[in-house]
Parts: sequence; C-alpha cells; structure tokens
Amino acid sequence: MVVNGNNKLAEDLERQELEAPNGVPSPQVYQQLLAIYLYQNDLCNAKYLWKRIPPTVKASTPELVNIWAVGQSMWTRDFPAIYKALNAVTWSDTVAEIMKQVQEVVRARAVDLISQAYSSISLEAVSAMTGLSPEVCIPACAERGWNFDADTKMIRPIRQVIEHLGQTSSEDQLSKLTDFVSFLEN
Amino acid sequence: MASALEQFVNTVRTSSSHGNFRELCEYINKSSEILIKHSQHLDNVLETLDIQQHSLGILAVLCAKFSVQPAANSTDNRFTQAQDFILNCNGEQIRFAPDTFAELCHSLTNYLVEQKQPLKGIVLLQKAISKLRLYDSQLTSIHADLCKLCLLAKCFKPALELLNIDITGICQELTQNPNGPQFDSKYFLLYYYYGGMIYLAVRNLDRALYFFEVAITTPSLAVSHIMLEAFKKYILVSLLLHGKIQAIPKYASQVVTRFIKPLSQPYYELANAFTSNNTAELNAVLNKHSEIFNRDHNMGLVKQVSSVLYKKNIQRLTKTFLTLSLSDVASRVGLSSPVEAENHILQMIEKQQIFATINQKDGMVVFRDEPDKYSGPEVLKGLEEQLSLCMELDRQILAMDEEIQVNPQYVKKSSGLQDEEQPKSTYAM
Amino acid sequence: MAQMMLQNAVEPMQVDAPPEDNDNNEEDNYVVENPTLDLEVYANNYIGLAKLYRLLYIIDHCPSLKLEALKTAISYAMTTYNVNLYQVLHQKLAEVTTSMNVPDVAAPSTSQDIPTIDNLWMETRSKRAALKLEKLDNDLKNYKSNSIKESIRRGHDDLGDHYLDCGDLSNALKCYSRARDYCTSGKHVVNMCLNVIKVSVYLQNWSHVLSYVSKAESTPDFSETQSKDSNQVILTKLKCAAGLAELATKKYKSAAKHFLQANLDHCDFPELLSPNNVAMYGGLCALATFDRHELQKNVIFSSSFKLFLELEPQLRDIIFKFYESKYASCLKLLDEIKDNLLLDMYIAPHVNTLYTQIRNRALIQYFSPYLSADMHKMALAFNRTVPALEDELMQLILEGQIQARIDSHNKILFAKDVDQRSTTFEKSLLMGKEYQRRTRMLILRAAVLKNKIHVKSPQRDAGQTGEITVVPF
Repeated sequence: MVVNGNNKLAEDLERQELEAPNGVPSPQVYQQLLAIYLYQNDLCNAKYLWKRIPPTVKASTPELVNIWAVGQSMWTRDFPAIYKALNAVTWSDTVAEIMKQVQEVVRARAVDLISQAYSSISLEAVSAMTGLSPEVCIPACAERGWNFDADTKMIRPIRQVIEHLGQTSSEDQLSKLTDFVSFLEN
Repeated sequence: MASALEQFVNTVRTSSSHGNFRELCEYINKSSEILIKHSQHLDNVLETLDIQQHSLGILAVLCAKFSVQPAANSTDNRFTQAQDFILNCNGEQIRFAPDTFAELCHSLTNYLVEQKQPLKGIVLLQKAISKLRLYDSQLTSIHADLCKLCLLAKCFKPALELLNIDITGICQELTQNPNGPQFDSKYFLLYYYYGGMIYLAVRNLDRALYFFEVAITTPSLAVSHIMLEAFKKYILVSLLLHGKIQAIPKYASQVVTRFIKPLSQPYYELANAFTSNNTAELNAVLNKHSEIFNRDHNMGLVKQVSSVLYKKNIQRLTKTFLTLSLSDVASRVGLSSPVEAENHILQMIEKQQIFATINQKDGMVVFRDEPDKYSGPEVLKGLEEQLSLCMELDRQILAMDEEIQVNPQYVKKSSGLQDEEQPKSTYAM
Repeated sequence: MAQMMLQNAVEPMQVDAPPEDNDNNEEDNYVVENPTLDLEVYANNYIGLAKLYRLLYIIDHCPSLKLEALKTAISYAMTTYNVNLYQVLHQKLAEVTTSMNVPDVAAPSTSQDIPTIDNLWMETRSKRAALKLEKLDNDLKNYKSNSIKESIRRGHDDLGDHYLDCGDLSNALKCYSRARDYCTSGKHVVNMCLNVIKVSVYLQNWSHVLSYVSKAESTPDFSETQSKDSNQVILTKLKCAAGLAELATKKYKSAAKHFLQANLDHCDFPELLSPNNVAMYGGLCALATFDRHELQKNVIFSSSFKLFLELEPQLRDIIFKFYESKYASCLKLLDEIKDNLLLDMYIAPHVNTLYTQIRNRALIQYFSPYLSADMHKMALAFNRTVPALEDELMQLILEGQIQARIDSHNKILFAKDVDQRSTTFEKSLLMGKEYQRRTRMLILRAAVLKNKIHVKSPQRDAGQTGEITVVPF
C-alpha cells in the first residue's frame, strides 16, 4: 500500500513541478520528490532532479542537500555511508516518513543481496551492509536461519527463492491460446 | 489601429464565421509581413479576436510577435499569450495551418531556451502536440522541441511518455511545399537524436540504440551533423549493449559508409580495442582520443564503455569457470584488488547480469547457471505478452499491405497498365 | 594462366622465391640450432629443383648445417644448367667463409675442401645451355613444319625440361602448357598435367596445382584404368601434390586425406617429395584434424599408410601414444622432432599451428569421457603447470571446443551439459524481440519514405545544422 501511495504522490509532485509558475515549485515538492525517487531506487531521476533544482532553492533548503547526500551514497553503492547519511540528521516532517521508508528498503535490498550473492560473509560486512550493529545482526541472521560461526565470525546466508506472483485464470489462458492459434492459422 | 490591421481583423472574422479556413490560411500566409510591420499594435489586434473562434488569426499574430524583438519599454507578454493560446485554441482550426502552429511552438521553444526556463514549456508543448496530431503515433515537428526542452530541463518523464509510443505516421506540416506536403527532415533527425539521448540518460540502452539507428538510416543525400553525432553515439551504445558494433542496416544511405564512417575513426579504434577484451589497450585509445571524445560530449559514454569491459570480462569468466578466487578474478580482468572484483561481482549479481555466490571465508566466487527461469506461470505470461506484441505488429503490417493493395497508383502499376507519360517517381519507394 | 605465372616469376631471383613463404613472414626468420638431420640421406631423397630448394631452406635456417648443405647444393647444381642458382649459392658460401674471419680456428679440413667459384664452368655451361636451347628450338620448329603432333608435344616437353634444368620456371611452365594442344591420348594429358603441377609447386602457385590435379584425375582414360601399376604411380603423385597444396593453404584436414591415399609401393616422386615426407605431412595433419574414430580408421588401421609410418618410427610412436591417450609422452616426442620439421620447407610454416591443434585435440579428447577431471593430473599428463593449463582450457571453453567449466578452487574441470530447453527458450524470445524491433523499424521507414523525408542538398543542410549543435550535457 505504501508503494502505491508513494508512487501516486510522486506523480502528483511531478505534475506540480511542471505546472509551477516560472517552473519553480515550493521546496517541499523538491524535498518529497527527491526522497521518493530514492525510495523507488530511481537514482537516475533523483540525479536529474537534483541537477535541475535551482541553486537558490538548494541554498535556502539545507535538507535537500542532506537528502541528496543519501542519494549520492546510494549511487556509489557505499552502504555504510548511506546509513550514516540517513541517520546523521533529524528529518523534518515533510520527508521524515519517506526517509524512514528509504532506510527500510535499502536494508531490505541489502539483506536480499546478501542472500543472493554470498555463501559466506563476515559479520563485519553484514553489519556494514545492513547498518545494524553486530549484536543486532547475529540474532537477526539467526531468525532467517543463517548460520553464524562464532570462531571465524562468518555468517552463512541461505539463498532465497524469489516467488513471482500473478496467476491467470485458465479460462483467460484458453482464450489467449485460441487467439494465438487463430493468428498462426491465418 | 492602422487600416491594414483592420482589414486583417475583418478578413479573419468573416472567413472564420463562414468556415472558409483554407482560404483564410492562404490569406494569413501572405499577411505576415504586414503584421510584423505593425508589431507595436498587435496586442490590440489580439483583443479584438476570440481565441476559440479566430484561432488561425491569433496564431498568425503570435507568430509575428515572436519573430520580432519586443520594444524595450513594453512588458514581454509573449509567453503568457502563447500559453493561453495553446491551452485554449481550436484544434480543428489550427490543423489547417500545421506549419504555422509548429512554427509558433519552435519559436516558443527557442524563447524558453534563451530565457533558460525550459521546464515551463513542457506541459504546453505536450498540449500542443496532442492538438496537432491526428492520432497518438503520429510524429509532429513539435516532438523534437519537447525533447529538447526536456533535455535542457533534465526532466525526462514527460518526453518518455511520447518517446515510448512507436511512430507509425508523420504529420505533413509543410502544406505549402511545391512538391506536395512534407515534413522537414531536420526535425525528424532531431527527434530521434534527442530521443536517443534521453533514453541514454535514463539508461534505456535498447531504445537508445533503436533511436540512433533510425537517425543514421534516414534517407540522406548529404552528411548531416545530426546524423554524424547520432552515428558516434550509435557505436558507443552498441558497444555497451552488444559488446561490438552492431551491423549498420543495408538500407542506410551511402553517405553513412562513405563519409560518416571515416569521420568517426576514433570511435572505431575504441570499438576495436573493446572487442579485443584488453583493458589496457582500451584505456590507451581512450587517452589518445580523449580530446575528441570530450569535444563530442561523449566522454561520459566512453567511460561507461570502459567500465563495461570489466563486466564483459567477468561475464566471460562465468562461462569458463565454476569457481575462481577473487584475486584471480581481479588479475584476469585487470582490476587492482580482490575487493574491487568483489564489488563488481556484487553489482552484477544485483542487476542479474551474472549468477554467482561469493564466499568471503575462502575468498572465492562460485559461478552458477541461471536458475531454471523458463518454468512457471510468469514465463508463460511473458511469452503471451511477447506474442501479442508480435501479433499486433503483424496486424499493422497486414493493414499497410491492404492499404497499398487498394492504392490506385499501385493497382495501375502492378497490373501493367502503366501510362508511359505518367511520371515514374510518384510512388517510387 | 600462363601469363599470370609470368608476372609472378622474376627470373634471376627465382631461386630465392621458394623459401620466402608468402604468408608466414614472421616465422621466416627463425634459426634451428640442434637438428638431428642426416643431410646426405635427406638430400638423396630428392632430385632437381626439389633438392636444391630444400637445401636452400636449410642453408637459410640452420647455421650448423649451412656449410655442408652449401657444398652439397653447389656440387649438385653443377650437374644442371642452373648457372644462376650456382652463383647465388656461391654468394651465400662467400658470406659463410668471410664470417668465419679466423680461418685457423675453423677445422682446416673443411676450409680446404670449400669449393671456389668456377667462372670457366659458368661460362661454358651457359654457352652449352644456350646451344641446347637453340637445338631444341630448331627441332620444335621442324616438328611444327611437319605437323607431327606427337613430335611437337615431345618437343615442347623437352624444351620445358631444359628450361627447368636452367631454373627458368616461367618458360618451363609455358612450354609444358603448350604441349597441351598436341596431346593425343589421355596418358599425354596426364603427363602434361604432371609437368605443370611440378612447376606450379616450385612456383608455389597452389590453386594452379589443385586445378591441374583435378584435371588429371578427370581425364577419361586415366580414371578408367586405375588398376594398372603405372597409373598407381601417377595417382600417388597427384595425391601428394594435392596434399601439398592443401597443406600450404592451411587446409590441413583435406591435406591429410590426400596424403593418406598415397601408396608406398608406388611412391616415386623425388621431384617433389619423399615417402618420408608423405608420412610426416599426412600423419601430422591427420593428428591435428581427425577425431579419434577417423584417426583409428584412416591412419592406424590403414594398411597402406602403416607402411609409410614404418619409415618414420618416431611419428608412428607419436600417433600411437596419442591414440593410447599417453599425451605426455606423445607431446614430448613431438617436441623432439620439431627441429627437423622446422627445416622442411613445406611443413615448417605450419608446425606451430599444427602442434597447437594437436595439443588442443589432445586436451579435448582427454576430457571427453569425463564428467569431471582433476586438473593436477591433467597438467601432469600434458607437461604443463596448472595455471598454464587453466589458461589453455579457458581459451578452449570460450571457443566452444570443450563444453566444461573450471572449478579453480579445487582445480577440477567439470563437464557442462547444455540445457536444450532453456537455450531454445532464450533463442525464441530473442528472435521475437528482434522481429518486433525490425517490424517497428519497417513501419516507421514506410512512413518516412511515404513522406519523402531525406536530408537534402549540402548547402541547405550546412545552414541548418549550424544551429543544431545543441548537445545539452
């Protein structure tokens, strides 16, 4: 639900920007849009948005700079820096909720990546990639069934199989099949 | 108000009320000089005309206003007037004068570029395009303007809405052309060149390559700079996407192979170095021609090409190895450290470019086959989507074929009843 | 054809031509240090220009045999009318003797029997050659005025022989070719073909060689009476010549097939090659290009080629070791004979390629029965370090010659089975995408052409594009 909410908000903000008199909307529009792009992991659009925000607005709204600091770290895929940038400041009400979600998705993606890419990984690296302290990591990993070897400080993640959703009714498939066959026959 | 202008207003009013738009267009085309001459009174003219009823008249006045610099002491109200016009004008009327309407949009675009406010025009041009075109997949010359504004504003989503629709028809704007209605090739090339750049900006390489390919295969009797630039980018994108220069279609004009290729020599050198899979060689070419790449504004792309070579080489490793130590990966693809190799691999795993697992304990990578991806309902769904796309395209082709079959000229020619006096070029494709 | 030959052949430099292999310049400058070749035995295998050219090749590539080869060549040249070559040989000899600047150090016995250039011989020989030429020419004219076909044909052949003896290849070729019009039987045609083939080999015009081989083989009389002994000789000659031409043009597999059809009992072709050559050329090409089954059927169990292999016991061992999968000793033996091969003008340019191919074939064959193989053992079997083997295997896998993957951690090579199902899926999806792309392009292009969009005259274009330099990045 949050996903849809944010996507809808983004469209709304994009429209607001385009329709703004003189082409410059309120700083809040920029703040939220930038944050949402980060949430969507749409770094391209985030980068170009950052580039098109007028310098005066950047100067008067320091929080924009803070948001983009997160984005830059995401661009370079520097996980520790992302968490550092996320937690270095207290976000204003305008973006606090979104930035919280950004942190959540970044972490979720990191966990996902670890499970996909590693058969063994140091506790240190897990901690860096998730932004959680080692003490928190160990139980969190255990929860996922990831084995932790205290001697070597190595974690052994288990690969997750990504499930795809989306079933179509057999009736629907049948009609499509009919279409194909009739297409091929003609 | 001068009498000439009064006459203009009267003609516009009577013709419009009688619905004689075709004649009105001809009249308007002849009267642009008069309008320009009396530019200081044009705002008064506008007041006497109704935006819905006399759209053609207002269009002419606005065009005239954009073609002269406003007097220093008067306020420049051209943008608001154009904005009002584009949003509220009568679409049916302006389609009688597509060239003038497009010209207004070109002027508006240039104006906004000069004012450094490209963002302001995006919504307007979207609206303008929707008024001028007869169907969604028809190309107008305003398309190129919108792309240009989006590029300058660094705001790509509005342009993408347009670019994602495949063009199937072209608006014949130049109705006054002696050789029949036409479309200026400049705007065609610009649309595909800008479009390619926009797709590049949002990392949609597949589409970018398609757009550049359209640009470089445009029929041509002379070297166009747009084509040349598109060609250079075509080479680079081709390397990024396919790892080699994709063959240039045979139907590309001769100028491409004869003139454009020799003008793109540094890019060919780069491509050769790239296909040799040798990082050092590639970097040597990059340094050797860095001035040219910078001048062509292609350095960013060139750098992407050089970083993609690492990925390509890692991908080659996945084909040959089941396991490999990170330090071996680094040395085999020319990276400086195992850590760097790990980062590259991690990135590629995330993007699903390779399937591998890293073992930090032993410093090894295990390359895996792709998980059995051709099973399950989502595959079927994907297949269905692809199939229906193909079917849709096939239908289009069939429709085009039918259209040609019933074309009188075609029938005449194919049935061998060709009149010898008939000029042969009429349907020469 | 003959005219083309003329252009190729620059007369005085003729003798230098053969060693300069046209497509292997970089391999031309090597030096062989330690051959085990018995020069005398080797030279006795050949007659005529074949002997001289082969000696020249050794002279140019092997310092240790240079002097001896020069002496042999000079004394042989004196039996011919080839004065040019005699001169060239003496020039080379002079280079050798001057480079041995301290004569006392060199064994005195050798320095004594170094032949000196005999100007008198050269003069008389040239005169005699000219006289003979004149005589043959006159004879031919007489035959022609009498219109006796057979005599004219012989006259041409004799003239050709003489030119060949003088080392004038282009004229020899011309004469042999002219005999063609006076052939009255299939036998004559075949004879003419053999003459042309011989000269073409000397000229290294391989396509000419092949076309005359097929011409000879398709001569009716010849193909009908193949059983006769004399025809067997001819057949072997043709096969050898064809094999040589295929070898020279790097078609190793068909070269092997040709050589394998030669018959030892009828292998008598000292103008071109020796039975030992046939064994070596055929054996190596077969080893490099045949799969296990072909090797077994056509080489090892071939009763006729077995006899050839007896002439080259080392090669026989190599082939059997290969067949028995004893690759280490096979490769070791191959290395041992390499030096001698590098002194053979026809196979030398191909030795490295053939060796690599044999090695690759061995690697492929070694792995073929396995699902997985220990690379340490494999390295041992191939006389290589494990990392070097890894590189070699990587190349083979990338080329698709081995369907396998390397486990570099445990140094194990694993066979990889191709998943037909998913490759089919992959291919068809790709095909669909490609179809869509092309069709879209087609529809757009139809619209473009319909609207006559094209970039027009340069002047107008230049004016327009001047402003279109907007590249907003």
